Parts: sequence; structure tokens; C-alpha cells
Amino acid sequence: MSVLALPSTREEAWRWSNLSALPELADRRPTGRVPAVLPWIDCAGPRLLFVDGRPADGTDSGPIEITTLDISAGDHALARLAGRTGWRLRLGCDHAAAGLVQIVHVSTGGPDHLAGEISLDADAQASIVETFIGDGWTNRFTAVALNKGARLMLNRRLLRGSGFASLADRAVLGEGASLAMTTLAAGNGDSRLDGRIQLAGAAAFAEAGGALLARDTQNHDANLIIDHRGLGTTSRQLWRSVADDQAVCSVAARVEVARGAQKSDAEQSLKGLLAARTATINAKPELEIFADDVKCAHGATVGELDRNALFYLRSRGIAPAEAKALLTRAFVADAIDRIGEEAVRDAFRADAERWLGGVS
Amino acid sequence: MLNIENLHATVDGKAILNGLTLDVGAGEIHAIMGPNGAGKSTLAYVLGGRPGYDVTEGRVLFDGKDLLAMAADERAAAGLFLGFQYPVEIPGVSNLQFLRTALNAQRRVRGEAEVSAGDFLRMAREQAEGLDMSMDMLKRPVNVGFSGGEKKRNEMVQMGIIDPRFAVLDETDSGLDIDALRVVGEGINRIMRRSDKAVLLITHYQRLLDIVAPDHVHVLAEGRIVRSGGPELAHALEREGYGAIAA
Repeated sequence: MSVLALPSTREEAWRWSNLSALPELADRRPTGRVPAVLPWIDCAGPRLLFVDGRPADGTDSGPIEITTLDISAGDHALARLAGRTGWRLRLGCDHAAAGLVQIVHVSTGGPDHLAGEISLDADAQASIVETFIGDGWTNRFTAVALNKGARLMLNRRLLRGSGFASLADRAVLGEGASLAMTTLAAGNGDSRLDGRIQLAGAAAFAEAGGALLARDTQNHDANLIIDHRGLGTTSRQLWRSVADDQAVCSVAARVEVARGAQKSDAEQSLKGLLAARTATINAKPELEIFADDVKCAHGATVGELDRNALFYLRSRGIAPAEAKALLTRAFVADAIDRIGEEAVRDAFRADAERWLGGVS
Repeated sequence: MLNIENLHATVDGKAILNGLTLDVGAGEIHAIMGPNGAGKSTLAYVLGGRPGYDVTEGRVLFDGKDLLAMAADERAAAGLFLGFQYPVEIPGVSNLQFLRTALNAQRRVRGEAEVSAGDFLRMAREQAEGLDMSMDMLKRPVNVGFSGGEKKRNEMVQMGIIDPRFAVLDETDSGLDIDALRVVGEGINRIMRRSDKAVLLITHYQRLLDIVAPDHVHVLAEGRIVRSGGPELAHALEREGYGAIAA
């Protein structure tokens, strides 16, 4: 039995997480069996496959190297377990990665730790999609550094069969840099998402959020902090959660505006949809502001599908299950429609659609 | 076509319909008029199958079948259309997506082939033009940001595409200016005035009936029909008020 020091739910930042499966998952042995069909998006660009945290042979990893990384996860209980070996995407000035960078992480039942580093120099651009499938415990820490004017689109899909996925990110954005992140949880198993995005340079921009879809006894827990440090920085956080059966979706989203970070503009929108009265949605919007010339808006709602809308759809001949799916799809679409690239957006929509097909 | 017999219904335990009896035959347009609180909208919702409107006595036959035993979506597939007094806004669902889903859901239940995207767009364009609506409006989310009049015209576009056999139109004229009233009224005539269709037109005012001429007019008061007649009854109501006629 390995020794695993895990935070308790008595700690505020972990109160909604359920880490109870991790000690057992940490001792499981992976089967090494990789599915014959992998969820690649039909798009040109480098493709990298990790099986149980190790790069698989024969994938075209393009500009990505596997190496020892110079990153630090700090004292984050799970992120620090990800280690220092992993993948790195470094792009120099004015470089764009050749097409969409796709990384598929397959876990075959055991514990699987891996770190990543994305470092974009001035005005470089990259678009990355990470897809997580399989079982067991997948633990990731990714450090992102965006230099002046760099742009990163980082979209993630959790399409796992079972187990637990913990993804932690730390991003620092320089002047005029922009980061757009959307995470879709539309599989089985539980998750814990942690993000800390620091808008260090003036006029840096971050848009982060996603859709958490949960049923049965699933537990998704997202924790995002956007830290405004530079002048005139902008952030948008948009989360949509859908919980059915006895599932739990939790989102804690915080905006921090440092002293002197004037003209900061932050918006938060956290919305939860209870597909069953036995499900739970937690939403915790937080603002911590130490500057006086800022614009911060936040909104959090939790509710059921609008009965009037349901009857309206049914009065036009749409059966109950289809009517619920249509309204739920519209609710989730806010989060997914923000993805800029059509092929990625379509793939994420299709994944959400598959999940919604099962809404009772 | 529609036979309502001794219908009693409650909302939140309160009796609203108290023994309403009405027969509507194919090819007929019946107007139901009455003061506020008479039960007009309750009648529409009971016929449409809205949850919370409980029938405590009586029966409703649609083509000889027990309408009240069917769920709201089954009633629609059977050919019943409910035009809402207050059409609902549905953010995130476009009118076109909603209507195509509805049309094909009904067709599936009836064992008919689904309508292709191309054919559907042609139908939608044709109906929108007939009601002075732009295709751009149909691409927008259902009723979101629509004015009262636009919502009512949108109900008629839906009715045109769905092409029901029986329409219950609940105060379709409310919130319409004179021009929009004409467009909507002519839409009702174009879509529904056929020998194999029928309409139950719920309204407060004579003005819609000048365009959609009813074959029969009924006065509803305290949950039952207190007077029936021809089109002249609507004129009498307009002149003398409900108080004198319904007493």
C-alpha cells in the first residue's frame, strides 16, 4: 500500500471533492490495453498519444518534446505528484504550431502521473486539444507561460470510462497575451480541476470555463482562480453544470484583483441545471478586489428546466425526453459555443450530444 | 371533430370549468368569448394537456378518441395545435431547430417520413413570408427578444409549418396592432379554413372576428357556456357588453 497524503474535505478548497477512491486507484495495476479507435479530431496537425502517462511509439509529436521540465507545482496536493518529466511545447517568436495539436491521454486502470509545459514566445500562437479516456487515476499538472502577445487555445475533453481525473494548471500571461480554455466533462468517473491564471502583463486576456455533465454518483469539482495583476486586464469565466441522479457538480470560481491592477474587467457566469432533485450543484463565485477602478460582474444560478418551456415544446409534439435534451443542450451550448475553431467546437458539441442522448 | 362533454376542471384546487359542453365539427370555426376569469385560457390549457390543469369530471373526444388520456405531445401528433396567449421564450434553441424537431417528432409518431433539411427550409420560408416574418427571425432563439406581435406571428408560422387539423388559439389577437391583426387573421384563414380542419378561437374582441369570420360564437362565463349563436352574437357582445348577454 503506497502512502498518499490527501487533503480532507475540511479544507475549504477541497470541501466538495471526493478523493476517497484515490488510495485504492493508486495501487491498481494498469492493463496496458489501448482501444482500437482513439478520439482524434479530423484535423491536420501533430498528434501525441500517451498511454498511462508514457508516450506511445509511432505518433507524430511535431514540435512537442518529452523531457525534464523546469516547472513547479508548488504545494498543490495532487499537482505535485505529477512530477517533473513530461511533454513540452515551446514556440518561438511569431510561430504558429502547424495546425491543431492533439494529445490523447489513455489510462488503462492504474495511477498515471504526467506534467506538461506550454511556453509561447512573443506573438506565437498555438491551439491544443487534450482528450482523456480510459480508467484509473489520471493526474496532470500543466504550466503555461505566454509571452507578450502570445495566444493559446487550450481545450480539454474528459471522456473517461471510470476512475478519477485530476488536472491542475498554472498559467502566467504577459502583456497582451490571450488564453482561451474550455473543459468539457462528458464521460464517466470523477474529476477535480484546478486552475490558476495570472494576468501579469497589461491588457492580458483570459477566457476560461466549460461544461460539467454528471450523472449516477459522479462528482466533478472545478476550482479556478483568475488573478488580475496588470493594468487593463480582462477575464471571462463561464461554467455550465448539469447534474442528474445523485451526481454532484461544484464550481468555485474566483477573481482576484491586485492592488494597482486598475481597469481590470472581470465577468463570471456560473449556472447549474438540476436534471433530478436528488442531484447537487454547488456554485461559489468569489471576488477579491484591491483596486478601485475595476469592473467585476458575477452571477450564479442553480435551477431546474423551465416548466413553461418544457410544456411549450411538448405542445408542439416533442416527446418529454427529447424536449429535456433540447433545453439541456441549449443550456450547455453557452459554454461550448465559445470555442473558436469549428472542428474543435463540433467535436465537443458531438461529445456533449452523446451525453445528452442519455438524459432521462 | 372535437366533442367536449360536461367538462369540469380545477387549477390549484380551485374549480374553473364547471360543466362545459361544446361540439366543433370539421370545417367549422367557433369563437369563444367571455369576461376575464371566465375560464377561457383554462379551457385552452386543458385541451392542450398542460400539467397542473386537472380534469375532475367530463370527457373530451377528438375524432372519437379520448383526448384527455393523451400526453401533450401525443395530442399534437394527433393533430391538435395550441396557440399560446403568452408564447414562451427559449434561449439557446433556434426557431428553425425547434420547429424541425417538432415537425419530425410528430411525423415519426404518425409513421410518416421525416422532412429533409432542404424541404423544411422551403416550408419555413413560405410560411414566414405569408406572415411578414424574415428568415433571420426564424434563425434566432425561440421568441427571445420578439415583440408581443412578433411572438403571435411566430405562433402562426409554427401553425403553418405543423399544419394541424384542429387549432385552439388562445387570445392570438392580444398585443397586435391593426396591421399585424390582419396578417395574423389572414394567416389563420389560409392555414385553417378547410373542410377537414376546425378552429376554436378564444378572444375578447370582435376585431379578429371581422377577419376570421366564425360559424358559431359562444359566451363563456363562470366555467360554462351560457349562450351560443351565430356571428351576430359577437356584435351584440361588442355593443352591450358581457354583463347584459351573459346574465
